[in-house]
Amino acid sequence: MRTSLNEIKTIEEHLFNRVHPADNLLFQANMILNTDLLEKVDLQKAAYQTVQQYSRKQLKAEIEAVHQKLANKPNSFMQRLISLFKK
Amino acid sequence: MQLNPVNTKQSREELFTTLYQKVFPTVARYVAKMGGSFDQAKDIFQDALLIYYEKAISNNITLQSSEKAYIAGIAKHLWLKTYRDEAGNIPFDAVSIDQPEEEQHQYASNKLMHYLETAGQKCMEILKAFYYDKLPVKQITEAFGYSGPHSATVQKYKCLEKVRDTVKKKALHYEDFLE
Repeated sequence: MRTSLNEIKTIEEHLFNRVHPADNLLFQANMILNTDLLEKVDLQKAAYQTVQQYSRKQLKAEIEAVHQKLANKPNSFMQRLISLFKK
Repeated sequence: MQLNPVNTKQSREELFTTLYQKVFPTVARYVAKMGGSFDQAKDIFQDALLIYYEKAISNNITLQSSEKAYIAGIAKHLWLKTYRDEAGNIPFDAVSIDQPEEEQHQYASNKLMHYLETAGQKCMEILKAFYYDKLPVKQITEAFGYSGPHSATVQKYKCLEKVRDTVKKKALHYEDFLE
């Protein structure tokens, strides 16, 4: 694996607490000394957040598809439920 | 209905369909009784399903379609939290339930998300499988057609690098965040 990918792997292990405490201390010291590393860590956190945002959007679309499927069935329980709201 | 560790799209569709049939009527009746609308019932129920899915996946518990009370509880909590003022100050006892952070903070702009959904879809799907659905690497290897778990893992890091660099590049263009 190339160097930049190994670095991403190391940052991931640090962020997900998968490293030995001593290694973690060393990593934190490196972040203080190396602002470039600090920026990479922040950007990698942003990348995980972006993946989460993307995934939630996809999951919501899957749930909505289920809703539509059930709502479009004739005489379904969904249509009976809608009638609860008609005043 | 045991789904872990097979959190595939098809198994989710089955789960959500079952949960809709079992739990949504309870939630809809509750919201109707409280004077809310069908759309409100739908929105909070869908958010409750999302919260339930994330909790189940991250705690590595078995997803079950029998968790009716739990999901209905989340939905009621969300309804009170979101709409209690509109409904006329219903007393609210605070129950701590983690809300999806998305509501509080949209990390990526719509433009960036659209870019990732189109140009970077394959990568986003792989990253979703690893980090969100938390599928075992063996299953990801098969589902995405990699030669082995090592290739799948390398691809994961390559994709993460791509997303990171895209986020960085887009962050430099301030106008992307003004929508």
